[in-house]
Amino acid sequence: MNTNSNTYTIIYTTVVCVLVAAILAIVSGSLASKQQANEKAETISQILTAAGFADKSEWEARGNDAIISFYKENICNAYVIDAAGTVKDSLDTASATIYNLSELKKQNYSVTDAASSQDLALPVYMFKDSTYVLPVYGAGLWGPVWGYVALENDLTTIKGAYFDHASETPGLGGKIKDDPSFRAQFSGKVVDFTDVKPFAIVKGGAGDKANGIDAISGATMTSKGLDAAINNWLAAYKPYLVK
Amino acid sequence: MDKFLKETFLNPIFKNNPVSVLVLGICSSLAVTVELKGALVMALSVTIVTGLSSLVCSLIRKTIPNRARIIIQLVVVALMVIVVDQVLKAYAYGIDKQLSVYIGLIITNCIVMGRIEGFALNNKPLPSLVDGIANGLGYGLILVTVAFVRELLGSGTLLGYPVLSAIGYTNNGLVILPPMALILLGCIIWAQNAIMAKQETKK
Repeated sequence: MNTNSNTYTIIYTTVVCVLVAAILAIVSGSLASKQQANEKAETISQILTAAGFADKSEWEARGNDAIISFYKENICNAYVIDAAGTVKDSLDTASATIYNLSELKKQNYSVTDAASSQDLALPVYMFKDSTYVLPVYGAGLWGPVWGYVALENDLTTIKGAYFDHASETPGLGGKIKDDPSFRAQFSGKVVDFTDVKPFAIVKGGAGDKANGIDAISGATMTSKGLDAAINNWLAAYKPYLVK
Repeated sequence: MDKFLKETFLNPIFKNNPVSVLVLGICSSLAVTVELKGALVMALSVTIVTGLSSLVCSLIRKTIPNRARIIIQLVVVALMVIVVDQVLKAYAYGIDKQLSVYIGLIITNCIVMGRIEGFALNNKPLPSLVDGIANGLGYGLILVTVAFVRELLGSGTLLGYPVLSAIGYTNNGLVILPPMALILLGCIIWAQNAIMAKQETKK
């Protein structure tokens, strides 16, 4: 057979493409449920880490099922609030429904754009020990940064925080996730809505302020991005927090 | 035949190493060598992708239309890469989170296409599979060597366990940044050239 004829080439490439597409569809379809479960457990473990139940590495060691059952045992209420701070919808705690990353990304448009704030639907996770966990989302240097801030019962004092990022520089911007001493700075600080910025991440000296922490040296843009993410989202939560 | 297979397997690991001799796949070896764990997974992924795509391309080598062969090779490689990425996402989520960008970049890793073009299209399936795996291993060897030094000196740990940091070592930030991977790679190439030059003169 002439493998160089046009007809042969076209038929051959078409067959190969269809075959490959079929294989990919099967692989993706058969692994989808496991992938989604991983993603959900990852998000929940970040929420639980921020709330101070255990360290992130410990959740990874415990595995998906343990993470989800721990969440179900300790969650008190989870709901979604609107721009006025009133509860709009509830999230099913029995099935551990949470807002995943793509949902946070979607909400980030409403958070940063006042015109679309009527679409705002922000989640609040309330645990049985009266810890409130709120998500934040924004742009770092190379890609999105996001995380969870846990507040005490007074809705002012920060109990803990956990942050993650898509592609910040390891060892510099990556410290928002990897450096426990950066995260430890958050505990005991407060959110102060009477200040220009409710919470500040700035270089040098902010560590002495009640509502600020020191930024990471060598990671100015990541620190600024995280600062903006926290302040934008806190501003959106303001009606709920200062009722 | 046996000797041919043995040589096909051993050559890419040292004498014809795809990274240190042919200087292919440099991009990813800079990016994924901050930690040993990531480097090991990347090495394994590249080995699987080069091995399987060489095997598949070798199996269909006689039917591939010559004018469309690069496209066909690309489709086969892309298929393998996506499958590896999906499997990692399902069974090694933590590692995939760190590596997903670079896993996608295996498609553009010159070693994979280079071995298919240069070897698999002219050889039988078995030697092609061996050649692909050996090239992946040769790449992995360099990757793991660089990652070993970078994690040890940059973070003071090995596979996440404290080694140097346990005895009060201050982490070297330069080692974590990509340029250090190039410097280390240069040192490896230097050492290898020195050893090979010595062997040449012995002969």
